[in-house]
Amino acid sequence: MPKYTSLSQIQTALHQGDTTLAAIVAYYLTQIEAAQALNAYVEVFAEEALQRAHALDARFRDDPAAVGPLFGMVISIKDVLCYAEHEVTAGSRMLAGFRSLFSATAVERLLAADAIIIGRTNCDEFAMGSSNENSCYGPVKNAADPTKVPGGSSGGAAVSVQADTCLAALGTDTGGSVRQPAAFCGVIGFKPSYGRISRHGLLAYGSSFDQVGIFAHSIADTALLLEIMAGPDAFDSTAGTSPVEAYSQHLQFAGKAKIAYLAPALHHEGLDEGVRAAALAFIDQLRAKGHTVEPIDFDYLDYIIPAYYVLTTAEASSNLARYDGVRYGYRSPAATSLDATYKKSRTEGFGAEVKRRIMLGTFVLSAGYYDAYYTKAQQVRRLIFDKTRAILSDFDFILMPAAPTTAWALGEKTDNPVAMYLADIFTVQANMVGMPAISLPVTQHPNGLPIGLQLMANQWQEQRLLAFSNEVMLNIL
Amino acid sequence: MSSNYETIIGLEIHVQLATHSKAFCGDDARFGGAPNTQVSAISLGHPGTLPRLNRRQVEFAARLGLALDCAINLVSTFDRKNYFYADLPKGYQITQDRQPICVGGHIKIDTAEGTKTICLHHIHMEEDAGKSMHDADPHHSLIDLNRAGVPLLEIVTEPDLRSADEVDALMSAMRQLVRYLDISDGNMEEGSMRCDCNVSVRKQGDTHLNNRCEIKNVNSMRFARRAIEYEVQRQIGIMEAGGTVKQQTLNFDPETGITTPLRSKEDAHDYRYFPEPDLPPVVITPQQLEQIRTELPPLPWALRARLRTQYALPEYDTQLLTEEKAVAQFFLALAQCTTQYKAAANLMINKILPWCQEQKVAIEQFPVAHAALASFIELIDTGQVSNSNAYQRIFPQLIEQPERTPLAIAQDLNLLQTADEDFLESIVDAVIAKNPDKVAAYRKGKKGLLGFFVGEVMRQSKGKAEPKTTNALLIKLLEKQ
Repeated sequence: MPKYTSLSQIQTALHQGDTTLAAIVAYYLTQIEAAQALNAYVEVFAEEALQRAHALDARFRDDPAAVGPLFGMVISIKDVLCYAEHEVTAGSRMLAGFRSLFSATAVERLLAADAIIIGRTNCDEFAMGSSNENSCYGPVKNAADPTKVPGGSSGGAAVSVQADTCLAALGTDTGGSVRQPAAFCGVIGFKPSYGRISRHGLLAYGSSFDQVGIFAHSIADTALLLEIMAGPDAFDSTAGTSPVEAYSQHLQFAGKAKIAYLAPALHHEGLDEGVRAAALAFIDQLRAKGHTVEPIDFDYLDYIIPAYYVLTTAEASSNLARYDGVRYGYRSPAATSLDATYKKSRTEGFGAEVKRRIMLGTFVLSAGYYDAYYTKAQQVRRLIFDKTRAILSDFDFILMPAAPTTAWALGEKTDNPVAMYLADIFTVQANMVGMPAISLPVTQHPNGLPIGLQLMANQWQEQRLLAFSNEVMLNIL
Repeated sequence: MSSNYETIIGLEIHVQLATHSKAFCGDDARFGGAPNTQVSAISLGHPGTLPRLNRRQVEFAARLGLALDCAINLVSTFDRKNYFYADLPKGYQITQDRQPICVGGHIKIDTAEGTKTICLHHIHMEEDAGKSMHDADPHHSLIDLNRAGVPLLEIVTEPDLRSADEVDALMSAMRQLVRYLDISDGNMEEGSMRCDCNVSVRKQGDTHLNNRCEIKNVNSMRFARRAIEYEVQRQIGIMEAGGTVKQQTLNFDPETGITTPLRSKEDAHDYRYFPEPDLPPVVITPQQLEQIRTELPPLPWALRARLRTQYALPEYDTQLLTEEKAVAQFFLALAQCTTQYKAAANLMINKILPWCQEQKVAIEQFPVAHAALASFIELIDTGQVSNSNAYQRIFPQLIEQPERTPLAIAQDLNLLQTADEDFLESIVDAVIAKNPDKVAAYRKGKKGLLGFFVGEVMRQSKGKAEPKTTNALLIKLLEKQ
């Protein structure tokens, strides 16, 4: 059981003088030390976190009102988010030693609210993976069972919260990279609407899918972190301009929700029996509380993963072109010409999965194949968007398991990329349509591993989604 | 043999926009900084950076599009053009492929056969790449990324041009236009304007288009002309020998004057264009477009017409006076102060423009006010000062002391002409007395000598003799036996 499960606990303790921020940071540093075998962190900012904690403690002693709303928040950031003057490597040899000149907007806003960033977490290389086994720093292990994967790509972030090494974590979610590891690790994992949080300073994988996400123990913390990071940003033209609500102030869900679940998802052949049973039990609990839950048809489930991989790899093939060994990052010592610099640096700098996706993306954009793959996938995306929107005009939320199985064994799927890709079958939809979705740690599988169920809402409906999630966490489970 | 063939040319003209900052970030976009000083994390393509649209380039594009009668797309989109090169930091160029900002349009050029209309296919916005220098160092290529991300407009013409002369005329017209519109300095030497030439030839009378070759790296009009002339002869040579021209991209080497293949159609780049996910569509509202239309400056062809009709200036003068917008504006301002339009044009063409050129200053910096120039013209027109005195003596003084009136200067220099008959008669008498044989010759019928006497009187009077009165007086006294 974590020592603290919400920021309000910590802030209460700080206000009552029971502890200091420095003591809390010290506690988390000890926890990190103890959990080292899980390989969740690639770098711990121990000294500067402590220094910052002392400085904030001093400011707080002088004037308790002089600290920001995240005073007491100790948070980790995934190794794809820029933090000025700190390394950011995307779990890749390609960026070994690269220091960012600037901070991601999300990070900047956390710092401005007096959060403490305790370290950067391990992840799949360039956020490409579902098990956190594609990292140049080696795999992350699930704290619930270290023989199991934590999920991916934000595996380190999920484990950092699961193992009580920090109160919350920032991850990124392109196709489920926050929600799926959250489900595997038994914590809350939230992906806001596309554009809700600026992508400035997020190392791009699939630009039209990428979104910063949050791992936490409580909905209150999730809502507060969103509230602070969300909103327009001059550095990201795709950041949404719709007003940021005071999510953390309105977490009571009034009335009854109307929830749809995708019938084909619950009957999917890849769905584990234990996960199905958990979902069905949860539906019963919801109904018992007076909420409406109805099955609906959805014909596109099996097209989601192929379309997603065509589109994200297409964007990735272009997004990762900048890692060429010319201006920064890894340059092969064997390169003697421009052409060789590209070929050797990229061959040696990127891992196998990243190269697979770059080649796949390059292929689907190539003359002669473009229409059959890229254009077709765009059309599928549109159909899925229209259908999802239609469902969400009749229902408040769509319910699905976050993942078809619980965490699998390390190494189990590394030789079968397609099997690995199917682990994202339930999470990808939210990214395809740009809508917010959350994975809630609802129960345990008979195998002892956590199960997460997912709720998705219409675009910009974070407020309702979080309020209902809060209702689920506090009153239904 | 050449005369049996028709040359077909289409251009892709790149115009570097004179915005203060780059197309997608705040870096200084001006030319001439020390290498790699006008860069930032964004223009260097650092991880995590995103483009942010500089709205100024959209406005500039719309200005050019409106001036060229293009249809303006109120919604246009950006795409990525993917290729690897050392001076392309992101590994792709942000450009407009599917939905460019301007479509269609046309421009008129002057050719030997008269005015000709060249149709445009479209104009799109894109960002420039950095600059590679391959001969500055024996072992390395050097890269300057100051230019990376500078906004460009690419104007793509239809294959409507028929000769290097027409290419020249189009490039001149385009350069003049972008300067009028204040969107670019149009300077080919600094690379602000460049063009790729698509050249093909066909037998006279044929209507189909043969394979074309694209000549890259043409950075001056002189090179463009040589490259086109060389390429036309090369293609005719191939066809005369019974061959077929291969579609390919060529590089023109100004050193050797020949074009060499850069790549053939088979290994042409596959740029894998796809929609730029980091930039939402560019939207111009009808109101914004109307605003831009209202603020368009008068265009060169409109000004030429006005100078011809309203001010009755000859074609030669209108060409010279509309070459640059500032010059035309100077003339228009001057024409507000005088009705002697032709005299005003002459003054500008013969004195003011050459002076500015000598001093290397813009016409806006010419020190003398329009009103003073108008009085200067009036001094000549009313016969108060001789043309030559005015031009040679008063004008330089006026530039030195622009705060003084031309009349005051004329008085100071004692250059005011006089029609005073007593004064003139004494000089005329003296001249007649001094030249008895010429007087005799005149009286015997050599009337052409009158000019000699007028000149003498002018010289004696130091130009102060008013010519009309002097003439009449001379005739009267010479005729008197």
